[in-house]
Amino acid sequence: MLKVEHLTKVYPGGTVALKDLSFEVSDGEFLVIIGLSGSGKSTLLRCINRLIDPTEGKVILDGIDVTASKGAELRHIRRKIGMIFQHFNLVKRSSVLTNVLNGRLGYLNPWTSTLGFFPADEKKRAMDALKRLSIDDKVDSRADALSGGQQQRVGIARTLMQEPTLILADEPVASLDPVLAHSIMQYLEQLNKEDKVTVICSLHYLDLIQRYATRVIGLKDGVKVFEGSPAEINREKFKEIYGEEAQDVRATALE
Amino acid sequence: MTDKKIFPKSLSVLLSIILPGLGQVFQRKYRSGISFFIAFATAFAVTLWYGKPIWFIIPAVIWIWNIWDIVSFPKGKGLVIPLLLWLLMAYGIGGQVTEFNLQALFSNFSRSRDMVSQLFKFDFVQPKAERIEGYTDIQSPCSDFPPAADHEENGVRVYVVQTCANVGDVITVIGEGFWPNQLTTFYWQNPIGGKAMATEATSDANGKVTLEWKVLSIVHTTAPDPTIPQIHRIKVSQSRPIGGMELSAVGGYIVQGIYETLALALLSTIIGAIFAIPFGFLAARNLMTANPVSTVIYMIVRTVLNIVRSIEALIMAIIFVIIVGLGPFPGMIALTVHTVAALGKLYSEVIEGIDPGPIEAIKATGANWLQVARYAVIPQIVPAFTSLTIYRWDINVRSSTIIGFVGGGGIGFFLWQWIVLQDFRAVGSAFVAIAVVVVILDFFSAKIRERLV
Ligand SMILES: Nc1ncnc2c1ncn2[C@@H]1O[C@H](COP(=O)(O)OP(=O)(O)OP(=O)(O)O)[C@@H](O)[C@H]1O
Ligand SMILES: [Mg+2]
Repeated sequence: MLKVEHLTKVYPGGTVALKDLSFEVSDGEFLVIIGLSGSGKSTLLRCINRLIDPTEGKVILDGIDVTASKGAELRHIRRKIGMIFQHFNLVKRSSVLTNVLNGRLGYLNPWTSTLGFFPADEKKRAMDALKRLSIDDKVDSRADALSGGQQQRVGIARTLMQEPTLILADEPVASLDPVLAHSIMQYLEQLNKEDKVTVICSLHYLDLIQRYATRVIGLKDGVKVFEGSPAEINREKFKEIYGEEAQDVRATALE
Repeated sequence: MTDKKIFPKSLSVLLSIILPGLGQVFQRKYRSGISFFIAFATAFAVTLWYGKPIWFIIPAVIWIWNIWDIVSFPKGKGLVIPLLLWLLMAYGIGGQVTEFNLQALFSNFSRSRDMVSQLFKFDFVQPKAERIEGYTDIQSPCSDFPPAADHEENGVRVYVVQTCANVGDVITVIGEGFWPNQLTTFYWQNPIGGKAMATEATSDANGKVTLEWKVLSIVHTTAPDPTIPQIHRIKVSQSRPIGGMELSAVGGYIVQGIYETLALALLSTIIGAIFAIPFGFLAARNLMTANPVSTVIYMIVRTVLNIVRSIEALIMAIIFVIIVGLGPFPGMIALTVHTVAALGKLYSEVIEGIDPGPIEAIKATGANWLQVARYAVIPQIVPAFTSLTIYRWDINVRSSTIIGFVGGGGIGFFLWQWIVLQDFRAVGSAFVAIAVVVVILDFFSAKIRERLV
């Protein structure tokens, strides 16, 4: 469904965040991106939905060139791509319901929605999404009154409103404790398995990678240094991706 | 240290007499030489500028000390005493220049007590009363054919038996149709409307009141030529309480003034806030430093805001009074301009502080520019904007009181007039009214702002 071709991103400061990166993702995959901090994971995910404009290369989603599209066309592509963030990126002062409804903005009339009007069936859709993530009791709370795990569930509910075919998750569990991390990952897995949503997710924890990924891509300084199944990640590979120093820390988890 | 006496001592003493410190310098005691010179020169200059000869003692003593210092070379006399003298002079002259006078706080007490006590006799409300009023015009001094001093209106007649009045005459003023057995007030109003004389008499059982009134020369103080006959007016009135209280004349002005001040402050805050919004965006670093053109705009806007903000609203009001004339309008413009600059800066800081996360997230859902602004930007800035704006209104109410002093309208203008007229009861009432309004406003603005954060 997704083809990334020779993707390169050079930031204005001259940092080369991605270098000639190519890979493909098929429908229904749960692709995990791993790599050190600064290796370009976030940059890659944001190039896919064009929150960042790549310097060179192409992103093709279901045959449409994302990198060449703009305006309304780009917004139509974006509304089918959900995004989940490490810091949840909820609008803190708005209610949970408003935050979830925000996920639907791409489908709604821009004028009426800007005036604050959401149709009743959209509100129902939002309630259903919240129910699915078992957080419907918080519907009227302010987003910043919720715990981290609850906020991330609201973030996923917002994504559900998009009826996405692809979800980009940028370290979705990095600010949560291990138990919550599993519960959030299970929601993503559920979407992947039951709703057939393709997931591209960046992760740091090896146990999570091995538990949820169907395929793994390793990045180092913006270059793809690994691509394969999670089972293939051994001591050697890990050293390659995370560098010598990381070996001791991470490799123990492999034993 | 061995070649200390390289320079003849007697010569250096002579040098120090001519110019303090010079001898020390020639003896290579540079530090003490320069210190003596600076101490003497500054002390001399300050005394010269201040112009009170008594203070010349200080530079003179420093000069003598300097000679003594060089005479007792190589030991020297040190700089402590001249330094202390110098400080004494500095504080002494400083104190006199600022007319520092603690005693004045007490010595003028008895004189000020009458005024201060007036401040606490608030003139805000008065017992409700009904009035009967009448008047007659009267010529003074008398011409050959004076018009009759007799006027009747609404059943109240006031007349003067003598028809006209020369200074020193005793005239008979008679009022008819008043309430019986009631204290009655008489005012002499000169041709320009000033109160020249006032007295009281009591009416009889038929409601007739008679007053023998001596005409004093004071009634002619405003006349360019007191020998030319002019028309004056005698006003006669009674008033009696009918129960309950009402605003006094001063109270009415205070209410009007406070209302004007609040409205003026509110108007300038709202208009200022509206104009401040675009400036806030233009002065926000995170939005404007993406390309060179916008960076230049950013720097210009920021500089202008900073300059305008640093000009006191009061100074601006004076300038606008000169441009557009007296009244509430120049005060309003000044406050508005100041508000634009102050709020523009504060708004820009709010915008700089917004979290880019939600913007990114809502963009990613396929929302358009307008929707992103509405759902990601506005919720982040509106509470802070509102809070800052309310706070600004609070500040503007206080400034507009002061701005009223320079003719900018509102309570400040009345207050200024009462101070000039030495109507201390009104001044005290106005103070209290302003304080009450400011405290109430402060309380509610704090409460609202608390909610918003
Ligand atoms: N807006 C930017 N401007 C300039 N350089 C940037 C910008 N964003 C990221 N970079 C640089 O690009 C490189 C890749 O950053 P990126 O955020 O994609 O890494 P990451 O793998 O997501 O790291 P982390 O695990 O810390 O999130 C880094 O060297 C970073 O400093
Ligand atoms: Mg990242």
